[in-house]
Amino acid sequence: MPALRRMVHEIHSVKIGAATGYERHHLVVGQDQVQALFADPALASVRVHVAAPGDRVRIIAPLDVVEPRAKGAGSAGGVFPGWLAPVNRPRGGDTHVLRGAAVLAAGQLPRNQEGLIDMSGPAAERSPFARTNNVVVEFDRVEHASWQEAEVAVRRGLLRLAVHLANAAVGAPPDVIEELAPPHQPGTPTSGLPRVGVITNLQTQGAFKDVFVYGRSMAGSLPTLFDPVEIEDGAVVSGQYGHPALRNPTYLHQNHPVIAELRARDGQDLCFAGVVLCPEPVEQADKELVSTHAAWLCRAAGFDAVIVTKEGAGNADNDLMFKVDALEALGLTAVALYAEMSGADGTGPPLVAGPRRGAVISTGNYDQRVKLPSCDRAMGGSQLRIADADATAAVEIPTAAILSALSPLGAGWLTCRPEQQLGVA
Amino acid sequence: MRIVHYVNQFYAGLGGEDSAGIGARVLKGTVGPGRLLAQLLGAEHDIVATLVCGDDHAASHTTAAPELLKMAQAAGADLLVAGPAFGSGRYGLACARLAAVAQAAGLPALAAMHPDNPGISEAGDAPVIAAGATAREMRPSVQRLAAAVTKLAAGEALTAADGRVIQAARVGQLVEQRAAARAVELVLRRLGGDREATEVPVGGFGVVDPAAPVDKAASVTVALVTEGAVVPAGNPDRLESARASRWLRYPVEGADTLASGAWESVDGGFATTAANADPNRLLPLDAARALEREGAIGRLHGEFLTTVGNGTPVATARRFGVEWAAQLRKAGVQAAILTAT
Repeated sequence: MPALRRMVHEIHSVKIGAATGYERHHLVVGQDQVQALFADPALASVRVHVAAPGDRVRIIAPLDVVEPRAKGAGSAGGVFPGWLAPVNRPRGGDTHVLRGAAVLAAGQLPRNQEGLIDMSGPAAERSPFARTNNVVVEFDRVEHASWQEAEVAVRRGLLRLAVHLANAAVGAPPDVIEELAPPHQPGTPTSGLPRVGVITNLQTQGAFKDVFVYGRSMAGSLPTLFDPVEIEDGAVVSGQYGHPALRNPTYLHQNHPVIAELRARDGQDLCFAGVVLCPEPVEQADKELVSTHAAWLCRAAGFDAVIVTKEGAGNADNDLMFKVDALEALGLTAVALYAEMSGADGTGPPLVAGPRRGAVISTGNYDQRVKLPSCDRAMGGSQLRIADADATAAVEIPTAAILSALSPLGAGWLTCRPEQQLGVA
Repeated sequence: MRIVHYVNQFYAGLGGEDSAGIGARVLKGTVGPGRLLAQLLGAEHDIVATLVCGDDHAASHTTAAPELLKMAQAAGADLLVAGPAFGSGRYGLACARLAAVAQAAGLPALAAMHPDNPGISEAGDAPVIAAGATAREMRPSVQRLAAAVTKLAAGEALTAADGRVIQAARVGQLVEQRAAARAVELVLRRLGGDREATEVPVGGFGVVDPAAPVDKAASVTVALVTEGAVVPAGNPDRLESARASRWLRYPVEGADTLASGAWESVDGGFATTAANADPNRLLPLDAARALEREGAIGRLHGEFLTTVGNGTPVATARRFGVEWAAQLRKAGVQAAILTAT
């Protein structure tokens, strides 16, 4: 399998300007170029804003988030295979990364469960996307276009913008170069270290609830072993707008947290063994089928232990449960990432569906409420519908509404711990 | 101390499921498990009255608990004891709600039920003493309850050592290490031999035993119920699209179909386009009416119950289940079709 080098450009600030440019940590987003990149028969207009960490800004109804990446001059191929680059192209090589920057769309879609990103305050502490310099694109649909057409146009626009911005830095010297080795090959010596891999379930529930692998829905597919270098280069793109806190935007696939943590310890106390991608089918028999097959695949690939991730809730919790049980039944050690749903006071049963064995990491309580102060400016909408409030108002919301706060890929910092509540009668 | 004891219609000897619809009433002295309780409490305490309500009535009327409280106050209660309700959902809900309103009104109260009883989250500030899962454990359950009553009457606080069910809250908090890093740590701990390590306890999911099939479908009343958030177009009662706090009921008497445009799903958790184009595919009124006409089922119940399952906590969903069962039983429904999304 090919290796990849990340040519990292650290982004400290982003501005809107006349033309796109990059110089020493500072990115300028060209106003006219954004318009051209989003030109589509389904979109009437787009507006672009920037939101930086610490700003008193609220982004309402965030959709997908993408990290700007592009291939270096010396590397053939391209990023976002199946969307902007052919799948049949050289893999690996150098990928330029604008670390600290993100492009995202915001606005209502029929099945976008409304969420938010606050760039400062308690919600900012909970979302990975309050730590990036965000290029925020608002859009208006052409009246006769369908929502599906508008959604595809926005998604393509975001991917194009991500590549366009990263292209501005391709000629600049990187701040850091990170070498990503391929996963450890089965059958080769490990010096006694366990081979640990990851299964990532992708949501597959139709329009606005789908994740794309090489530009195609994974619905109906069997689980497959997948090249992590291709995930770095955007082979997995999200078109999934359910449960904001339990969403895995494209950015988090590009920066897959479990893969990153496994790589960080590779060769020290474990061997990074590989990645399996799996759909989340909606029928019980299909869930059992893909889970059984995924467990077999992990064993066939020589994994000793597996971390299992999901996207969404309820339905997706069953996928985790079946996989962990199937893996453990085959003798593999399994750990799943779940968000708890124990009610606002945290006293209800924490899991909707949970494994009978294995172990569970808690990514926080979906129902726990968070008080947010008012802010100065809102993007993506003028009303926060879930709180029935003005977009900039002080509100109390469930953690469930904060984008990726309960990240099933493990990008967040929340957990839950039992607290003895001894009320005195 | 003057104690008033609450039991359901069954333990009061007023009948089984056929009497579950009876309203609140008061009986003199002790009945059923109250006799054992009185015996264990000894001469110091006196069970002056027994309150009774049918399970279906208590679980489907929010007025039942305040009504029972008034009766307890009228009987001059110093302390209210409810149950033990064991694992029975409707009975547990009734005990918990009564104990909660009594405690809130300044009348010390105590409920007893199995720790997994769906009613447990409704007890408010009133303590709940653990009971067995079934009436087979009547004696040890009432013994524990009697000991707790004695202690409470002496002005002492009840703790887990007394069998008090402590609902340990799991509190969300921010930590230094992100979840992915903790997952890797946990894998390594488990591979290192610590097989018990986990952040959330695993296992413990109960298995729901299906009810026996209906004997003759052609003679029963069937209800349609859904967690797919089917509501009249425009959602006049503002059902949530996620994290339901309540459920609703709508009449379908005389209707053969759920017309597109007149009904919709407000569920935020699935693609509603197809369901809204034909709401019958979410709540199969058209098919149920056809079965009714053919005589395959006796009768279709005149209203359907609806809520949203999307993101609704398990504890809330269990309570809805108990309330729905009571509501349907009271209406003479013998079978229900629950459509889920």
